[in-house]
Amino acid sequence: MSLLEITGATRHYQVSAGLRRGRVLQAVRGIDLAVEEGEILAIVGESGCGKSTLARLLLGIEEPSSGSITVGGRPIGAYGRVERARLIQPIFQDPYSSLNPRMTVAGAIAAPLEVRGVGNGRSRLAAVHEIMDAVGLARYLAGAYPSQLSGGQRQRVAIARALIGEPKILICDEPTSALDVSVQSQILNLLARLHRSFRLTIVLISHNLAVVGHLADRVAVMYLGKVVEAGPTEAVFAEPRHPYTRELMQAILPPELGRGLPELRLKGEFPSPLAPPTGCAFHPRCIRAGDACREAVPELAGSERLVACHYPLREPVHA
Amino acid sequence: MADTSLIDGASASISAAPAAKPMPTPGQIALRRMARHPGFWFGGIVLGVFVLAAIAAPLLTPYDPGTQDLARRLAAPVWNSAGSWQHPLGTDHLGRDYLALLLYGARISLFVGFATVLISGLIGTVLGVAAGYWGGRVDLFVNFLLTVRLTLPVVLVALVAVAVLGQSLPLLVLVIGGLLWDRLVIVTRTATQQLVGREFVTAARAIGSSTPRILMREILPNITSALIVVGTLELARAILMEATLTFLGLGIQPPLTSWGLMISEAKSQFLFRPWLIAIPGTALILLILAINILGDALRDVLSPEGRA
Amino acid sequence: MTPLLEIRSLSLEIPVNDGLLRPIRSVDLTVERGETVAIVGESGCGKSLTSLAVMGLQPQNARLSAERLAFQGESLLGLDRRRWQAIRGKRIAMIFQDPMTAFDPCYRMGDQMAEILRQHRPVSRAEARERIVALLRRVGVPAPEDRLDQFPHQLSGGLRQRMMIATALLCEPELIIADEPTTALDVTIQAQILRLLADVQQETGVGLILVTHDIGVVAGLADRVVVMYGGEVVESGTTDEVLGSPRHPYTAGLMRSIPVPGRTRRGQPLGHIPGLVPRPIAPLTACGFLDRCEFRHEACAAAPVPLRSGAGERQLRCLLPIETPRQPAEPLVAATAIA
Ligand SMILES: Nc1ncnc2c1ncn2[C@@H]1O[C@H](COP(=O)(O)OP(=O)(O)OP(=O)(O)O)[C@@H](O)[C@H]1O
Ligand SMILES: Nc1ncnc2c1ncn2[C@@H]1O[C@H](COP(=O)(O)OP(=O)(O)O)[C@@H](O)[C@H]1O
Ligand code: SF4
Ligand code: SF4
Ligand SMILES: [Mg+2]
Ligand SMILES: [Mg+2]
Repeated sequence: MSLLEITGATRHYQVSAGLRRGRVLQAVRGIDLAVEEGEILAIVGESGCGKSTLARLLLGIEEPSSGSITVGGRPIGAYGRVERARLIQPIFQDPYSSLNPRMTVAGAIAAPLEVRGVGNGRSRLAAVHEIMDAVGLARYLAGAYPSQLSGGQRQRVAIARALIGEPKILICDEPTSALDVSVQSQILNLLARLHRSFRLTIVLISHNLAVVGHLADRVAVMYLGKVVEAGPTEAVFAEPRHPYTRELMQAILPPELGRGLPELRLKGEFPSPLAPPTGCAFHPRCIRAGDACREAVPELAGSERLVACHYPLREPVHA
Repeated sequence: MADTSLIDGASASISAAPAAKPMPTPGQIALRRMARHPGFWFGGIVLGVFVLAAIAAPLLTPYDPGTQDLARRLAAPVWNSAGSWQHPLGTDHLGRDYLALLLYGARISLFVGFATVLISGLIGTVLGVAAGYWGGRVDLFVNFLLTVRLTLPVVLVALVAVAVLGQSLPLLVLVIGGLLWDRLVIVTRTATQQLVGREFVTAARAIGSSTPRILMREILPNITSALIVVGTLELARAILMEATLTFLGLGIQPPLTSWGLMISEAKSQFLFRPWLIAIPGTALILLILAINILGDALRDVLSPEGRA
Repeated sequence: MTPLLEIRSLSLEIPVNDGLLRPIRSVDLTVERGETVAIVGESGCGKSLTSLAVMGLQPQNARLSAERLAFQGESLLGLDRRRWQAIRGKRIAMIFQDPMTAFDPCYRMGDQMAEILRQHRPVSRAEARERIVALLRRVGVPAPEDRLDQFPHQLSGGLRQRMMIATALLCEPELIIADEPTTALDVTIQAQILRLLADVQQETGVGLILVTHDIGVVAGLADRVVVMYGGEVVESGTTDEVLGSPRHPYTAGLMRSIPVPGRTRRGQPLGHIPGLVPRPIAPLTACGFLDRCEFRHEACAAAPVPLRSGAGERQLRCLLPIETPRQPAEPLVAATAIA
């Protein structure tokens, strides 16, 4: 049994467009994924494909419309507020929005312990200092307010706050997208180190494939609320099977000379989750699309390498 | 963790320099900015002078505002050729010392102002935060209350209340306080809505915070500056409202006194002794102006978050 | 032949509460016709202000000085408002990071674009519309006629950015300044937008200043690179020279920070630049990068470092020998620390 299991999870929102009410937006349209203890699973995909919605489901902040999400075999909704917080913690994209501007660094980091009623003020401060050392925050910053910190420092505070209660699972939603590359590399190094020393299980959400490739053991590629391909990072990067994954890989611009600009073979635009295309949601943009693609939804199939495509780029090698 | 400093050299190298100087808190930064703001000084000083004068009224005048001296009725103020220092601001039609009336009247006006803002602030914050935080039906309900409130003319409500319950100071405070929360609701609701969308509120949920804790620790501290600004402006509105209602005979009644009452009682003397209206009128205008300027200054200083 | 844009010793000073901010310090920059020059650096290094200054759009209270600031050989210094307006939008166009802020949310896209065109060209409404539709088609906007009646918020980020590029091209500018044109976009859309810019340049020979902090974008598109740090140019040269063998410790540090699929090993520590971009408040008395430099020595602290020219087109503001490549010392240190 995996630590975190997502089975057929969907999440719909009712949206009102002017006078017409009750249109359904399908942000997550049926996801099956399992996250093993101690691994880093990355979720990649274009803006609006449902990554953050999935993150909120995993955090138990929102309930799936259907399907289930279990942690250690128990549905996440069955855990109490505090119990759940001990298991799963988030790290968000925007370090300028993820810290309360009126709370000091020490106050923010100690909050999880306070909520749980662990220790007294003194022992909590000691714990805060210890975790600040671990994430590379100088102790003199304990009394500082977020407006006095750089983006990288804020992200460290957010990481410290998430880790002080020693959770098992960390859900990182675009943890470095708002940072400069020089700071991004520090946060990535930190996450890699904490992953090892705290034996963390990490779900890393990102649209930056280079970041994903650097940290993750496994990658799941999402398109319009569904996983279209999943597998070990190296394998997916070296040999993408889903046409969409390949376009994503193609689009990476490495800082290397002489590669020029990538040639994408992607037609049209990302579809609206209010009106998902029939069959394979990718078919209006796919150069390989055939009749089957317009009619039948391809199932996510395979063992280690999963792909949801009628005409995958290479037949999976069956073991 | 031994490798910290090597990998995360960032914090190591910057920790050296600024460590010596403790960082100013946002509160300290706001105070510093206030000190530089002329509006804060003007508004604060004028309001402070009025409050002090109201508190220290017995020390500033030997007269009791209730004592009538029909022999000396309608004495002129000192700057009039007929005036004398015995009654610096003259006396009214019953021979009461006008300075004493003004000072003791300030007590009532300011008391009504602060008391009503306390009440309306409480109502406005509770409704606004609830609407902004829970949204949906709560929001619809608060919106409904707001619409109803905005259709109610204050004077009419006061008239009905006085007719049913009789005229009294507590009633006046309750009527004004129970009605002047509209802007506070609008402001706190919007501010709360914006905060709820910020990731730190989501993060607070994720660390297991209870709803009361989120409201008290994450939401309230971040809307206090908006509350202070609007509350200040509402203070001016409440004081003016008291004067209006009293002028119309719905508010303060003798033996109490207020500026509105002074203006009301001087109505008939308007043509021949204009100072009887000008003195409380000027005090009222000055106070309202000062409070509004103070409110604007607070807005300048408090609202742009953390801009040092 | 005169270059398209020539900037020599451009400086900007902004009075603030606690002194005089110097966000641009004696910057040199030349752009030839048909050339793409990238300005790179961390946020706060003065990239945006430099590009705004070229448009005469520096903050109101800023003091600008320059030895020379010339467009097509014509000085831009001390132009009055009328003469600026004849240049801005028409001969020099700008593309911003967030197209949402560049368009007015209350007007239809078509009206906004027509307004800009008719400001600079005596065309009829119908002609303007025709021209705009043709351009939108050219930049790959599907169903362009329908888009004209839409409001900015009804368009996706990628579409808005395409329409911004179309708007920039409306008056056939000679120079386009693109400030982080793809930072807010997905990689797939980024690739398409950059391709579009490259194609447009090929066809029209327009000069392009590309402000970015993404070295991958630079490698893909730029002919020359200017690396800015703390308001100064610290290194410049052709893209091959600068990215192929960075000589300034800052450039080298930036390059080492980036994970590259297939090249950096998974989980291996990435290089980084310790410390923060300083607030450009005081005049420099030493190398501006001193605090964060792993190669610093006494001489670096003695005086501000001048820009030197090396072989080819390379210029460098560092005391280290200009001809020897920088050896990355850092990942080794970090790796041993981990082990
Ligand atoms: N509370 C909500 N109500 C209505 N629609 C929503 C809500 N939350 C998300 N959506 C919609 O669901 C879809 C997926 O959103 P989500 O935020 O999960 O995307 P994402 O993959 O995280 O994108 P990004 O990379 O831009 O962060 C989008 O179309 C979004 O507009
Ligand atoms: N209008 C302004 N007033 C004062 N300082 C400014 C203003 N605009 C930018 N700055 C400062 O100038 C420096 C360079 O800014 P900018 O050119 O925007 O950097 P970049 O585009 O490289 O991120 C920063 O320190 C920034 O805070
Ligand atoms: S199922 Fe068809 S349309 Fe979808 S990705 Fe595969 S080939 Fe393309
Ligand atoms: S001059 Fe010295 S301190 Fe500055 S970058 Fe070069 S080596 Fe580093
Ligand atoms: Mg997201
Ligand atoms: Mg910028």
